[in-house]
Amino acid sequence: MSFRWDIIFEYAPFLLKGTLLTIGLSVSSILIGTFLGLLIGLGKIMKNKVLAFPFYSYVTVFRGTPLLVQIFLIHFGIVPFFTGETNAVTAGVIALSLNAAAYIAEIFRAGIQSIDKGQMEGARSLGMTHIQTMIHVVLPQAFKRMIPPLGNEFIVLLKDSSLLCVIAAPELMYWGKAMGSQYFKVWEPYLACAFIYLFLTLILSFVLNRLERRLKTE
Amino acid sequence: MIKVENLKKSFGENDVLKNINAIVSPREVVVVIGPSGSGKSTFLRCINQLETITGGHIFIEGLDTTDKKVNINKVRTEVGMVFQHFNLFPHKTVLENIMLAPIKVRRISKEQASQRGMELLKKVGLAEKANAYPDSLSGGQKQRVAIARALAMEPKIMLFDEPTSALDPEMVGEVLEVMKQLAKEGMTMVVVTHEMGFAKEVGDRVIFMDEGYIIEENIPSEIFNNPQQERTKAFLSKVL
Repeated sequence: MSFRWDIIFEYAPFLLKGTLLTIGLSVSSILIGTFLGLLIGLGKIMKNKVLAFPFYSYVTVFRGTPLLVQIFLIHFGIVPFFTGETNAVTAGVIALSLNAAAYIAEIFRAGIQSIDKGQMEGARSLGMTHIQTMIHVVLPQAFKRMIPPLGNEFIVLLKDSSLLCVIAAPELMYWGKAMGSQYFKVWEPYLACAFIYLFLTLILSFVLNRLERRLKTE
Repeated sequence: MIKVENLKKSFGENDVLKNINAIVSPREVVVVIGPSGSGKSTFLRCINQLETITGGHIFIEGLDTTDKKVNINKVRTEVGMVFQHFNLFPHKTVLENIMLAPIKVRRISKEQASQRGMELLKKVGLAEKANAYPDSLSGGQKQRVAIARALAMEPKIMLFDEPTSALDPEMVGEVLEVMKQLAKEGMTMVVVTHEMGFAKEVGDRVIFMDEGYIIEENIPSEIFNNPQQERTKAFLSKVL
């Protein structure tokens, strides 16, 4: 049995479409997840334990249950409950964002807490408010330290978007599966998908490396 | 200028300041000395309330800053502080370190802040380092930048928390020199230090603290040559 390049070429337009959706899903989930993660991370470091509790619970639940289970619950349960119908792409973005937010919250929390408390004191002693100090002094330094773990998380998220094929979101893996079932082939569709995912994660880590180097101070 | 009344501070079960009463007059340089753990740094940090005080009152220019209605950020703009470990912002250049608070808190323009920043850097002898990052400076240079940064807010009072303790010996002099200059210009200063030479030469008054109390206070010549309390004598015999 020889490697059927022809079926890969036949499916190329679908794989491309799927890749674009994979990128779209990942980028929007990264953006939403980072925003939510920042809020949840800041929530977790509040001194008031009662106010911080919901944020703790959020991280516990979303980090402690499988993403696949969350995808099913959101696609078949939560989205239909609110809108009466469901949509795989919407449910997918929600599931990926909420899941990533839990991990990103921990990255933000660790990043903020890694900044020496002298930085806070230095700025506060000059009369700056807590919020001004966070924005101008703590977060810029914390962000630099957070780039490597954030990069990891973004790469995990990009790869995890392939799970959305189980709810028939027409992303890359969905088209790979379709190609596999049409021709009863294993190597061609899944190797093609693997290469495309690898290509995407390489680009992502390249961009993050550049960002990290640009933010370096001597 | 500063009046401290019955100040108490505890960290949990640990009473660090037991009952502190002190007055600092305008243009006065008060030097606080004492063994480690005596509460002298905590005392200083209570003056601008980097530590939440447990009891008592702190008046700055007649205003009770421990009153809940008083905006502590406003008070801190008048009270500069220099730390043992500098606490410069490593992601900003030397000049940006100095400009940040005047722009964000005093709301002055960038040009004005930069011009004033350069003047201050000249004053501490570091104008050529304006665009360097703090990590490329020596300890003594960092501390001089930190002093310039605090001065940029044009404070009425300056607090120094062991400003030379983290420095290599050969860099202590350059920092003390800047502080002496400041004292000469009439700045009101409270200095926690182990530099007895500085206390003798520049201090108008010396406060000796131990175990959370002010044990003795007097003019430097009296404290160093004629200490009245046993604990003061014991401490001075170890450090002089």
